[in-house]
Amino acid sequence: MIEIVNLHKYFGQTHVLKGVNLQVNKGDVVVVVGPSGSGKSTLLRCINRLEEVQEGEIRIGGENILSKTADVYRIRCEVGMVFQQFNLFPHMNALHNVTLGPTVTKKMPRRDAEALATELLRKVGLSGREHSFPSELSGGQQQRVAIARALAMEPAVMLFDEATSALDPELVGEVLSVMKQLALEGMTMIVVTHLMGFAREVANHVVFMDDGLIVEDGTPKGIFENPKTDRAAAFFSKIL
Amino acid sequence: MQNLINKFHEFLPSLIKGTQYTIEITVLGIILSTIFGFVFSQALLSKRKLINRPVRILINVVRGTPLLVQMFYVYFVLPDLGITLGALEAAVLSLSICYGAYHAEIFRAGIMSIPLGQWEAATSLGLKHHQILRRIVLPQAARIILPPLGTSCIILLKDSSLASVITVRELTRSGQLIASTTFENLTVYSMVALIYILLTQLLALLVHSMERKYRLK
Repeated sequence: MIEIVNLHKYFGQTHVLKGVNLQVNKGDVVVVVGPSGSGKSTLLRCINRLEEVQEGEIRIGGENILSKTADVYRIRCEVGMVFQQFNLFPHMNALHNVTLGPTVTKKMPRRDAEALATELLRKVGLSGREHSFPSELSGGQQQRVAIARALAMEPAVMLFDEATSALDPELVGEVLSVMKQLALEGMTMIVVTHLMGFAREVANHVVFMDDGLIVEDGTPKGIFENPKTDRAAAFFSKIL
Repeated sequence: MQNLINKFHEFLPSLIKGTQYTIEITVLGIILSTIFGFVFSQALLSKRKLINRPVRILINVVRGTPLLVQMFYVYFVLPDLGITLGALEAAVLSLSICYGAYHAEIFRAGIMSIPLGQWEAATSLGLKHHQILRRIVLPQAARIILPPLGTSCIILLKDSSLASVITVRELTRSGQLIASTTFENLTVYSMVALIYILLTQLLALLVHSMERKYRLK
């Protein structure tokens, strides 16, 4: 469903992605691991074109989203993104945060959008908090609103960019359980995380990135237990 | 005392006439300078040098010269270039450009204070640049922009008095004219000052009520 071919990305002179190849099938839960600075977040951000790409192809459902004629606004509607820092809109309540995307970009009638948002907030366990502002919610609750906000666009794939890294340890679980639930429902997900437990339990596909390249690509069991490269073995020995 | 009240009654109609001009210049000045300021700020924030450089130069020239000189320029020099404006128009135009330059920096600072993550989150929802600006960035930047913008508008109101020098019969000029014929300097300029205080207080109240509207819950 998503096919990334020979992707290169530069920040000025710095070569951050050095020819990444990745195949993601419908319903896959891909976990991307690797040391910081290896290009994991950049790779995710390229998939909804938050970053300009210098070379390569990203195909979603057969369409090269990097082509000059691609409709970047429509593509972003098909790719949901959850950020490390939540990035909720602080001047809008939870419900309004979720309805914004559908009403503005999909021209969904307000009434329908609110029904959808109420349902999605229920799904992430936030019934009754529709009218709370982000400042009145805990980090875990904010991140769950952010997940509902991304889901409201009815995306074909969800990207999670270290979605639990900014949370207090005791709040991580509530966000992970929402992510697990999504995975069980068959959502295609690409998850950048340092939580190997989540990778083992939920992922069916793990990639290890180092220095702008995917150096290991396989099943969680295969990668964690029998890493083929020294770099991956050294990384896992430190964090597992 | 009766004498003072009589003088008051004698001078007031003329001062009110002047106040109407002051209000007219100020209201037009605030509206136009805010529009110019917003447009200039968008140019300054543009990544294209062809757009941001000329506006940066314009703003530096405007900030670097006295408003009075700018007014003389618009009123006395532009006619030589074939652009003849009435005194009132010249006053409004020079105030609008001058304060537009100040307001551009206020808008730019307010917009830049909104974290990049807000742009990215809205972008990832498929919103376009102008939609993000209107629905996400400006409503949040408003609480940062409004206090300095309000102060700047109050200074604009007071600087509308400079129009007196290019013959606009606004409040200060009306006062001058009365004082020069009656020699009642104390009474006349005290009345003028009081009217300015009244006007600035009203403007300050308006700004305050707008600030309350954008306060975060």
